[in-house]
This record gives sequence, structure tokens and C-alpha cells, in this order.
Amino acid sequence: MNYLLFAPEFTLTAVAFAVLGVDLFLPRDKKGYLPALSVVGLIGVFVLSLRYLWGRDTDLYDGLFLIDNFSLFFKAFFLVLGVMVVLSSVDYVKKHLSRPGEYYGILIFSILAMMLMAASGELLTAYISLELLSFSLYVLVSYGRHGLKPSEAGVKYILLGAFASALLLYGISQVYGMLGTTRFDEIHAALLLEGTPLNPAVLVGLVLIIAGLGFKVAVVPFHMWAPDVYEGAPTPVTAYLAVGSKAAAFALILRLFSQAFMPAFDDWQIILVILAALTMTVGNLVAMAQQNIKRMLAYSSIGQVGYLLMGVAALSPLASNGVILHLVGYGGTNLLAFMCVIVFYNATNKEEIADFAGLADRSPFVAMAMSAALLSLAGLPFFAGFTTKFYLFTAAADGGLLWLVGLAITNSLISLYYYMMVMKQMYMVPADDNTPLNVSMFSCGVLGMLLAGVIIIGVYPGPLVNAIQAATKAILP
Amino acid sequence: MSLIHFQVLSAALFSIGVYGVLARRSAVMVLLALELMLNAVNVNLIAFAAYGEQVQATGQVIAIFVITVAAAEVGLAMAIILRLFRDRASVDVDEVDLMKW
Amino acid sequence: MSLSLVVFYLLGAVCLGGAVGVVVSRNVVHSALLLLVSLMGVAGLYLLLLAEFLALVQVLIYGGAITIIVLFVIMLTRVQEFRAMKDNPQWPLAVVAALAMFVLLAAAMIKGAPSETTRQSVSFEELGSSLFTQWAVPFEVASLVLLVALIGAIVIAREGGEE
Repeated sequence: MNYLLFAPEFTLTAVAFAVLGVDLFLPRDKKGYLPALSVVGLIGVFVLSLRYLWGRDTDLYDGLFLIDNFSLFFKAFFLVLGVMVVLSSVDYVKKHLSRPGEYYGILIFSILAMMLMAASGELLTAYISLELLSFSLYVLVSYGRHGLKPSEAGVKYILLGAFASALLLYGISQVYGMLGTTRFDEIHAALLLEGTPLNPAVLVGLVLIIAGLGFKVAVVPFHMWAPDVYEGAPTPVTAYLAVGSKAAAFALILRLFSQAFMPAFDDWQIILVILAALTMTVGNLVAMAQQNIKRMLAYSSIGQVGYLLMGVAALSPLASNGVILHLVGYGGTNLLAFMCVIVFYNATNKEEIADFAGLADRSPFVAMAMSAALLSLAGLPFFAGFTTKFYLFTAAADGGLLWLVGLAITNSLISLYYYMMVMKQMYMVPADDNTPLNVSMFSCGVLGMLLAGVIIIGVYPGPLVNAIQAATKAILP
Repeated sequence: MSLIHFQVLSAALFSIGVYGVLARRSAVMVLLALELMLNAVNVNLIAFAAYGEQVQATGQVIAIFVITVAAAEVGLAMAIILRLFRDRASVDVDEVDLMKW
Repeated sequence: MSLSLVVFYLLGAVCLGGAVGVVVSRNVVHSALLLLVSLMGVAGLYLLLLAEFLALVQVLIYGGAITIIVLFVIMLTRVQEFRAMKDNPQWPLAVVAALAMFVLLAAAMIKGAPSETTRQSVSFEELGSSLFTQWAVPFEVASLVLLVALIGAIVIAREGGEE
């Protein structure tokens, strides 16, 4: 057993403990070292994983823990995401939270959980890593915010999250009990043996697993918690929720459905297609009525989950590429949008769309960054959103889901409307208070990095697509 | 007494828990209903472990992890509920309208 | 009607009766104590299923730890006498949903039931050794879950010092 293959996970755990430990000894004014330590640690683990795990295809503990290009790609993605989230949180944590050590420590634990989720080869490991991620997020959502709305959001999140886990678990117990195993490849073999029609006890387990995971990514009709929780959580945590937990859940879903449940394709495709159609439509329609920028972005990300589900429903190597590319591109875009909201909140303590009035005069750079993010979310060319949506929609059409792709395109056009509303506020409505926005150099730097990322993915996606193709080959040869 | 007896019992316990989560307004009561759901899962798992074709420890191992996670969940949820209680300026947590659609 | 079947029905009645009590009782302390009753019934079921270690763990954790936490928090979040609490006005919908779920689950299970087998017990040594060798990764991750829950609970419930 080559324990060195666990090196990235061990090192990341050590980094988390180091952050928690160093926090004990740092005086109040020197807490700025903590995010620096976290970033250095995350980059170190990133380099370590790429150098050591490149091109391997093995498994540890008898299929429990898989080391292949798919898990490596997602490890790298989550580490980069972690670095960007830590950088986005620096100013917010300094201003609003009084316990930075635990914040960064738990953030690193959640990144570890995401890495484990992408590398799980069987149901129990997947479940327990999902629980580690969920627990970290329950804590981060309730972190430091006092007031009625944030506390209610925190309670709602943990109770509904636990409900989702219970549904997922019942599904896991049914699948395990009927098929006799929890390993993905053995489930695949057992399902092939069962043949069609699928045993109803297994099917009900599958449906419950879909319901449980659906709650976690806020699929309609399980999306009720998302807008309130997104609004009530600290904004960097909202950004992290919107991007990271969805990406990790979709990595798990891709692996689960392509490696384990593939033989039952005809049974679950119809369920996913209906959920995808519902999700994209409801998400985009309700977003139009929102007044608070965080709620609007919450509903917009529900719509995006609909597009991703469409990709999963059309499962093929091309569709899997599309889903992963959309996760990366939409992840970067959402981070950029939320970073603008964070910067705005740090300077003005306000989050309503109406408050964005006249942003173009007060801070042209932030307004430009926000516009780039909104245009990318809508899917306009030159930005990441266009490339990723194009790829995803083509793949879904290729898989035969033409009417669903048509619905997706319609929804993209609808979404353009409410993104334009925000842009109109920024550029065309004069501000009540024309003082320039107080944005630190550091935040400008982070915004610049994210903006560059979004544009690079939009115009030169080549290397990224190659990496993604290598990842997909590991699960769908 | 065979597997199906235990399975139907677990399904009944699970459904009663689902009713509790959907119908109760107090956060503490929703949590109690969640515990019922998790125990239903455990009954299902252990029944499968006992009546399976080959003797495997897997079902019982999963059940141990479920008990662990359930206990941790209760602890964390209680802390969050306490925080809510304090932030509502000492009003009962029972009035929280959790299931706003 | 064998003895074990009679015991099963008795324990099942305790479990389901307690569970119904948990979800309909107006008094939160009654709910918590009825949960304890129901979960002890479940521990009895584990004994019927020849899973002695799990029955022990069930009694220790649920009876010993979780019930205590729940009662503590109930005590800390009262401002007045324990009064009757109302349920969600949409509770008939919840009844329908729960019944539908039960019918679907039970029907699927009965229809897909595997062939008859007899109870076998999992040896304690096998449980222990597999937990620490085959399932080592989830075991370590579970320890991290507990750590995060611990840190989180302290950070969240701590009073004062925030914005």
C-alpha cells in the first residue's frame, strides 16, 4: 500500500492544523499571517499533487480511494478555488469576523473534503466526505453573523442539509442492501447482472440518492433553502457555497452515474431531464423578481445547476467534458461576481441592487469587473460563460436532448434580462452619494486575477479543455 | 420473521420522521424527527447485514458511521439553535417559521 | 408464531409508538423523552438482528449523550413555562407526503424482495478489524467530522466579541 499517494491529503490536513495552531499564538494585530499561511499551504499541496500524481491510475484500499486523472483535475481545481476564496475573504474577515483562525482552518478542512469526494470509489467514503464538507459549510454559514436573518439562515441550512443527508443515506442503504456492495465498479457489475427491468427496491434507492444529492446542489423542487441561506451567510462563504459545494457534488455525481449507475441509464435519464428542465426555468424566472444582489445570484446559480443537470442527463464523454468545463468557467465567473459584491459590501455595508446605482462613476474598475461577470454568466462571447455554455449545449444536443437544449437557450436569453438590469443600475442610474468607493489595492489585485481568468477561459480554453478531456477519459473511457 | 419485516418497519419509521421534519415548526422538534430518520436508515442497514447472502461487516460499519455523524450533527445543530435563541432577543425558538416556500 | 416474531412485534410497537409520539406531542420535553423510548426500542431490534455491539453503541450514544444534549438545550432556550406549541398550518400536506413515501417505499421493497435467508451474526472481530483496515479512510474522515463539529459548536455558541 503506497501511503505516499495520500500525500496531498495528509499535507492539507497538516496545513489546516498548522493554521489552527498558529492562531493560538498570534496576537490580535498579526492575524494577517493566517490567510498567507493558508494560501502558501494550498499552493504547496497543489504543486505536490501535480508533480506526484500526474498520470497515475490506481486505487487504494481496494477501490475505496481512486487516484486517476479525474480526481487529480478536481483536486487541482479545488485547491485553486480555495486560494481564490481565501484571498477574497481577507478584507471581509478583517473587518467583520473576530475569529479568523477557525474560519481559515475550517475552510481548509472543507477543501480537503471536496478533494476526497472527487476521489471516492465507493458510497461510504463519498458519504462521509460529503458530510465533512456539509459540516464545514454549516459552521461557515453561521460564522460570526449576528442578527435575525443570518441566524435563521444558519438553522435552516443545517436542518435541511441533515434532511438531505438522511434521504441520501436511505438510498445508499437500499442500493447496498440489494446489490451487496458499495464499490462503484462492483455496483456496475451487479446492475449488469440484474438486467432490465430494474428491481424496484434498487430503483427507489437510486431515486432517494438523486433526491438527497439534489437537495445539496439546490435542484428544484429542493431549492427552498438556497436563497435564504445565500442571503444570510457571510458573502465570501456564499461565493464558496455557490461554486465549491456545487462543483464537489457534481464531481461526485459524474463519477457515481458514469461508473456505478450506467447500466440503469434509461431509468434515471428521464428523472434528470425533468429535474433539469424544472430547475433552469424556475431558477431564471424567479431571479427576475429579486431586489437583493445575493438572492439574485442565488437564483441565477440555481438556473446554472439546471444546465449542468442537462449535461449529466446526456451522459457521454462529450457531455462530461461540457459539465466539467462549465463548472470551472461558471465557478470563476461566479467568484468574480461575488468578489465585486464583497468589495462593495466592505466599502458601503449594502447589498441591494438599488444601492449599486452609479457604480460606474464611483469605481469604474469594480463596475467593469461586475459587468464582465454578468455578461459571462449570461453567456456572451469573449467571456468564459459563452465557451462553456456552447460546449455544454452542443454536447447535450449531441446526446439527443434537443428540446431541453432549446429550453436552455431560451432560459439563457431570459437571464440576460436580469443581468442587464444590474448593469443598467451601475451605468445609467446616477448615484445618491458620489463618493468614490474605498477599495483596497489587495482587493483590486484579486479582482484583476479573477477577471483575467474569466477572459482567458473565454478566448483560449485549449489547455483547460485538454486537461478536462484527460479527466473524463478516466471515468468514461 | 424475515428481512421484509425489518424493511417495512424501517420504512414506517423513516416516513414518520419525514412527517416530523415537514410539519413541525420548532427547530428542536425538527431535529428530533431527523434522528428518527437516521435511525430508520440504521435499522435498514443492519437488517441487510444480518440477512445478506454472504456475511459482511459492511452494513454494520456504515451504521456505526451514521450514528457518529448523527451525534455530531445534533451537537452542532444545538449550538446553532442556541445562537438563534439569543439573537431573537430571548424569544422562543419555536416561533421560527422554518419552511417558508 | 415464533417467539422472536412476537418480540419483533412488541419492539416494533414500542419504536413506532414512540416515534408517532415524538412527531405529534405538543410538549417538547415529552417529544425528547419519547424519542429516547423509541430509540431504545431500536436498540432492542439490533439485538434481535444479532448486532450486539451496535445495540450497545445505540444505548450509549443516543441514550447517554444525545438525549442529554437535547434536554440541556431545551432547558436553556425557555423563557417561560413549557407551553403547548402549535404545528405548521400545512400539516395535512405533510401527512399526505409521509404516507405517500411509506407506501412507495414499502411497495418497492415488497416487490423487489430477495430470496429468503436466515439471520447471521457478524463476528465482532471481523467488525473491528475491517473498521480499522478496510475502512480506515472513512474512519479518519469521521474523526475530522467530529473535530469540525466540535470547533464549530464552540465558535458559534460563544457569546460576545462579534460585530
